[in-house]
Amino acid sequence: MPDDAVPLVEHLFRQQAGRLTARLTRVLGPANITLAEDAVQEAMMRALRTWPFEGVPANAAGWLYTVAHHIAIDAVRRDRSFGDKTDAIVAEIARSGTTCVPDETGVGDQLRDDELRMIFMCCHPEIPRDSSVALSLKTVGGFSVSEIARAFLADETAIAQRIVRAKKQIRERCLTLDLPAGRALGERLDAVLDVLYFMFNEGYTAHQGEELIRRDLCMEAIRLGRLIAGTTLSTPHTHALVALMALLAARFRARVDEEGDLVLFDDQNRALWDEGLIALGFRHFDRSMSGDHVSAYHVQAAIAATQARALTPELMDWPLILELYDQLVAIDPSPVVALNRAVALAKVRGAGEGLAAVERLGRDPKLRHYHLLMAARGQLLSELGRASEAARSFEEALGCAGVSEPERRFLRKRLALQLTRRAE
Amino acid sequence: MSLYMLLLYDDPKNWGKISPDEMQKAIEKYRGWTMKPFTKGHGRLADDAGRVIRSTNGKGRVADGPYSETKEVLGGYYTIEAPSYDEAVKLALDHPHLEYGGTIEVRQVWGT
Repeated sequence: MPDDAVPLVEHLFRQQAGRLTARLTRVLGPANITLAEDAVQEAMMRALRTWPFEGVPANAAGWLYTVAHHIAIDAVRRDRSFGDKTDAIVAEIARSGTTCVPDETGVGDQLRDDELRMIFMCCHPEIPRDSSVALSLKTVGGFSVSEIARAFLADETAIAQRIVRAKKQIRERCLTLDLPAGRALGERLDAVLDVLYFMFNEGYTAHQGEELIRRDLCMEAIRLGRLIAGTTLSTPHTHALVALMALLAARFRARVDEEGDLVLFDDQNRALWDEGLIALGFRHFDRSMSGDHVSAYHVQAAIAATQARALTPELMDWPLILELYDQLVAIDPSPVVALNRAVALAKVRGAGEGLAAVERLGRDPKLRHYHLLMAARGQLLSELGRASEAARSFEEALGCAGVSEPERRFLRKRLALQLTRRAE
Repeated sequence: MSLYMLLLYDDPKNWGKISPDEMQKAIEKYRGWTMKPFTKGHGRLADDAGRVIRSTNGKGRVADGPYSETKEVLGGYYTIEAPSYDEAVKLALDHPHLEYGGTIEVRQVWGT
């Protein structure tokens, strides 16, 4: 019975596209992902052509589910490649179409299990990571190639190729949806979390590409993280990752002002932080505390939690943050982490010491042309009242490769500030 | 007030490229238009190409569609109420179908 009083659940189609593709892939076999995807796309097309006139069915997810299964049956019957297995697969699809129909919210245990297996397969070590990310977003996330390309500011063809490569690996290496066992399961989980964090970071730190779609990407990484965290596969560091992502995503709206300009952490309007995400972050942070192993996700989550606890910039516990960065450097000695540590050092022991640490890092050839290092250096010089040198640093930052447009505007503003100061 | 028919044509292939999220948005926009108070009737046509009956020497001859040169097919129709042709066209111009590349034919129902 059509019911127009109830609007469609936000992103229902995107989410159902993922779940349905996972379901049909499980029935058809991973080698036939494309067939599953096509059936799902066709079902949604039929909804698009029907619902505007006939109204939205009460169980919209169930409608899509049933129609996609019918389409898949027709496609398998037409496709000769199934040979004498055709009847068995058709029966299997028919069984799937009547047994695990989603409820009105579109979820069910079986569907959750399908998604989980799908994401574990997409993150198989034989598939390169950027392909894993693209394939996960496409098949589990229900994003289109064009949306992924927009979020990554990448060419659509490049994204499409990554997906093709991933599917080729699945076919050639006969990857299955079976979860690995024993030690391999732990390793695969790490690979999945790694992909989720990468997906999140692509959406979170790029500062370019379309804001809305990047945000959706981050929320998808969090959704998948929560999906895993809610199963017996979960580990303390799974919770730590979900906590980290949720606490960072909570600041999404505060990071950019109405003109699309960057807002520094200290200047962010905390009223714009998303309380729901902060609460979610703390819930998972608490659950990450069981166990002895401290992962990089744990320490990063602890940093984000410390930041989230400070209701004003003055209340920020910088000594604790510095301590956490020291721990993080020990686990992940990357130059970017070291740069963040130097910024924390400046907050605790003064701009002079921070600057010395930044200068030391600047000798690393990998960081010499890193715009965020130049920007941090400029900021510290400016705090020390050395306006001319600060100006030069901001200029150098502007000259680096990979500076996004909002960052460029931000750096120009800082530069202009130094120049007026010097003139005073 | 007069009655007008809006005939909605589109090329189904156009929809193949849009994402699930965009499809959902499109449905919501179309549905929003369908629910407007001036809409008196509406219907969706089946996806098949249909049949066309032409007269040959005064006798009907049935043929399968497609019956026009274009790739566009008639997918649905509305009956709307409007004070004038101009107003009817103005209302139709607001239909999301145009945003998605479709064509709308506006015809007045005779005698209304």
